[in-house]
Amino acid sequence: MNNAIWLCAALAWPVLAQDARQIVEESQRRGKANSQRYEGVLEVTGADSKVTRKSWQSRRLGAYGNSKAVIHFTAPAEVKGVALLVVNHPDRSSDQWMWTPAIGRDRRIALQDRSTRFFGTDFSFEDLEERDVDQYEYRLTGEEAIELAPCWRIEARPKQSKTSQYTLSRMWIRKDNYVPAQYENFVKDQPVRRLQQRDIQNVQGIWTARTLEITDLRRKSRTVLRLEKLEYNIPLKEDDFTVQALRRDQ
Amino acid sequence: MILLRLISLPYVRKHLLRSVLTTAGIVLGVALLVGMQTANRSVLRAFNDTVERIAGKAQLQVTAGDAGFSEEVLERVQSLREIRAAAPVIEAEADPGLPGQGKLLILAVDMTGDRSLRDYDFDNGDQDVIDDPLIFLAQPDSLILTREFAGRNHIAIGGKVAFDTMQGRKQFTVRGILKAGGMAQAFGGNLGIMDIYAAQNVFGRGRHFDRIDIGLQEGVSLEQGQTALSTLLGPGFTIEPPSGRGRQFESLLGVYSLAMTVSSMFALFIGMFIIYNSFAIAVTQRRSEIGILRALGATRGQIRTLFLGESAVAGLIGSAAGVALGLVFARTLTGLSATMLESMFGVAQNVGEVVVDPGFLLFAMAMGTGTSIVAALIPARNAARIEPIQALQKGRYQVLGAGENRMRRNLALLAAALAVVCLPLGAYRPLFFAGFLLTLVAGLLLTPFLSLELAKLLRRPMKWLRPVEGALAADSLIQAPRRTSATVAALMLSLALVVGQGGVARASLQSVDEWITTTLNPDMFISTTENIASHGARFPAGMQQELESVPGVAEIQPVRMPRLQFHGFPVMLVSTELAKMGRRVKRHMISGDEESMNRLASQEKGVILSENLAALVKLRLGDTVELATPAGMLRLPVVGTIRDLSNQMGTIFLERSAYVRYFQDDTVDVFRVYLKPGASPEEVRGQIVGRLGRQRRMFVMLNRDVRAYVAKVMDQWFGLTYIQVIVAMLVAILGIVNTLTVSISDRRRELGVLRAVGGLRSQIRGTVWMEAAAIGIIGLVLGIATGAIMLYYELQAIQHDISGMPFAYEFPWGIVAMLVPVILFAALGAAILPAESAVRGSLVEALEYE
Repeated sequence: MNNAIWLCAALAWPVLAQDARQIVEESQRRGKANSQRYEGVLEVTGADSKVTRKSWQSRRLGAYGNSKAVIHFTAPAEVKGVALLVVNHPDRSSDQWMWTPAIGRDRRIALQDRSTRFFGTDFSFEDLEERDVDQYEYRLTGEEAIELAPCWRIEARPKQSKTSQYTLSRMWIRKDNYVPAQYENFVKDQPVRRLQQRDIQNVQGIWTARTLEITDLRRKSRTVLRLEKLEYNIPLKEDDFTVQALRRDQ
Repeated sequence: MILLRLISLPYVRKHLLRSVLTTAGIVLGVALLVGMQTANRSVLRAFNDTVERIAGKAQLQVTAGDAGFSEEVLERVQSLREIRAAAPVIEAEADPGLPGQGKLLILAVDMTGDRSLRDYDFDNGDQDVIDDPLIFLAQPDSLILTREFAGRNHIAIGGKVAFDTMQGRKQFTVRGILKAGGMAQAFGGNLGIMDIYAAQNVFGRGRHFDRIDIGLQEGVSLEQGQTALSTLLGPGFTIEPPSGRGRQFESLLGVYSLAMTVSSMFALFIGMFIIYNSFAIAVTQRRSEIGILRALGATRGQIRTLFLGESAVAGLIGSAAGVALGLVFARTLTGLSATMLESMFGVAQNVGEVVVDPGFLLFAMAMGTGTSIVAALIPARNAARIEPIQALQKGRYQVLGAGENRMRRNLALLAAALAVVCLPLGAYRPLFFAGFLLTLVAGLLLTPFLSLELAKLLRRPMKWLRPVEGALAADSLIQAPRRTSATVAALMLSLALVVGQGGVARASLQSVDEWITTTLNPDMFISTTENIASHGARFPAGMQQELESVPGVAEIQPVRMPRLQFHGFPVMLVSTELAKMGRRVKRHMISGDEESMNRLASQEKGVILSENLAALVKLRLGDTVELATPAGMLRLPVVGTIRDLSNQMGTIFLERSAYVRYFQDDTVDVFRVYLKPGASPEEVRGQIVGRLGRQRRMFVMLNRDVRAYVAKVMDQWFGLTYIQVIVAMLVAILGIVNTLTVSISDRRRELGVLRAVGGLRSQIRGTVWMEAAAIGIIGLVLGIATGAIMLYYELQAIQHDISGMPFAYEFPWGIVAMLVPVILFAALGAAILPAESAVRGSLVEALEYE
């Protein structure tokens, strides 16, 4: 009897694996937009419960492995004008540059520095990358409800070609709208960051989480990002997503 | 042990003063050894400690000498798969102008990635600020201080610290405070951290980094990392573990450390003669005691062991006291050393505390005790040889036996002859140093004989000066040459050291003066620091045009002078517009033709070497110089060698355009400014400061200011001579007090008789004083003569073994003129107590003596 169960499980495995990738692909297909723009409000709550706030304006052209994004900080006054350019690639890690207007300099964020925190938030630089579906191996490990919404639980491991601080990402994708409800990122089998996506709304036909809460499980601090004035498929120019544009815009 | 307790202890108690003075020789020697070496080690340790703490988890560091390298190197390094983390760094000193706080070492890093190599342990409370690198990066005035520095200066988060930058004096906002410990202890806690891209502007680095700190991937060995980086970057880059910087610093300080070591070892050597003198005297004084012991059955071995045991105990006590005193010296010397090193090499040091190395202290104890035992070997042997019957024959032992005298003279002549033979064979360096040693040995062997002869020569003038006192004093010396000779030898050696060192100082000063007159001839110099040797901050190349537009300015020569390793020596690479310099500066040519040298070098067809570097690395006219640069190997022929004293280890002159191209660095350390005829230097300085002073950190120094600066540096360097003069004085005092105490003790009856037959106290006092003066004069004559020979050897060693600088032999008459009164004064001062003891003793007791 036991042997029969194992046999069934073994035969079912390729099907489940296929399903996992299909689910992620479907999730990405449903969330895909040619461009995106929003104003983000960040609230970082430190382990000592001290709260700091920042806001930025985000523009993105393209989607997933072929996208480019620029984040311009707008508040507080000390950081206004600081910008980050992220150029995602389908086959490798993204390139990132930071622009600091006060010294008129851009700096490249090295690949090896992607695991560091993104400017005091609980996101890392890597968390700002958009993941191409081909850069990971997927496995459906079960089903589980997140905030009462039934979800598929899928594990994603980066392929060898992908440089990532995470050895494993576990994601929960809602069955009703294919929006990821939660991610848990692991380093050497230890969970280090948890991202919860809430307040899911349909914006221009795309189901989108308007509130992202990321928790640094080691530091015990959390960052909440609220997406305001969110728009999809707006006209954006390719030229605005270059290092030269960062310099020019100041 | 029993003999030590029953025989030695009562003797020490009876002659407490002399025992203390004997031990003082070792105390002094060990104290100087410990003081100088500990100071030196503290400075080195402070540097290494700073390097280590700042390096964090970096396993390798990529540098290209002082020149730094272009930013693009970072991306190339980061692309290597062997590299886990590569963090760019700029290091520079800044003077916040806080009274008594010294300089801040600014460590400029890229906070977005630097934490993978360094732990930034911040104080609680500012977590939201500093843990948010965004504000830190967005605001170029951001600065992190250590808790120690902030606490000392009552600076809190949000507080301001100002220092001069290449954009004028600027205020920086403290946005983080590092917890004590770890990196925060680097540079004695005077550490500031800022953003590297802000620092490029602040310190005028352009788009350059000073170095890249490297963390390797797991499983990649240091060798594999080094190989991968070397292959990627080429020979112009140095890839070493952080400890390599410590070694470079040590090689930079090589000459200084050598001078410190030689001086301290010499002090110990001199101490040996004081011990020898005391034990030689003790043996003669205790002859009857030794005779009785021998008569009672004590073996020669037991007598020898008794004296060696005494010397070991004296050495141990003296060494312990010397170590304690040395640590006190070290506190003062450490500060002096750090100041001097900053002036000479531009390497600022913040030596927070004296580093005590227990191993070295044990070594110093062993050296002191060993020296004491070695010094007592001959007296102990002599004591063991005394026959009981001989012990009753008072007086005979003080006279040098004709046979002994002859043997010494013959040995001395042999040593001198061998030393002369070694002279023409000096190219083989071991023979040169053997010759030096043989000269010293000859001098020491001849000391008793020469002392005796000089005492005989002095008798006539002393008698003429004071018939009774002079004759008595001279006779005392003539009758007991052994009592005097060791003191004279100690005095001779210490004075020879002073004369030798003074001679080197004088020769250097003359060469420096000639060099300053011919080379440092611009009307003014513009530097980023008041210390020309320090290149922490640099000017942008564009400043040349701004300066040229100042009314009254005729010509500007931009100079960049980084240090780099060449054939294992830390040499200085001077890059400037050589055609311009050639027109303004008349060079002291060593080889080559000046006109063609300037022409070829300015056309990038060759380099010019300083004479000392050419000698050190054995390069001649036409030979190829290979310089590893960030842009690849630069190979150019030597088109001339000149006398240049810019750097102790030598200088390479390279046309500026070639430097800019190969080192990808167009910054400037110093602008040499020539004025139009009739222009007032003060007025032009005012104009320059008025136009550019607010925008940039700059020091406009007139020619006389630079000359004064160089003179100050030379003074600091030769400050060592003054320490040696003090040692010579102390040696003179110790030795003379010792000798006179024994002399008076030996002559108590003689002096008593003199007083009984009507001799005045003043006459006895005068006798003692004249004896002291005579010892001083004999020591001076022999010391000056030995010093004159030593100076020759020192100058040869400097030229061929140390820095390659060929200084002309110049006898230091000035130092000698200073030494004569100092030593005579010290001798007379040393005679005061013994003289008073001679006149105050009981007449009855004196007559009962024996």
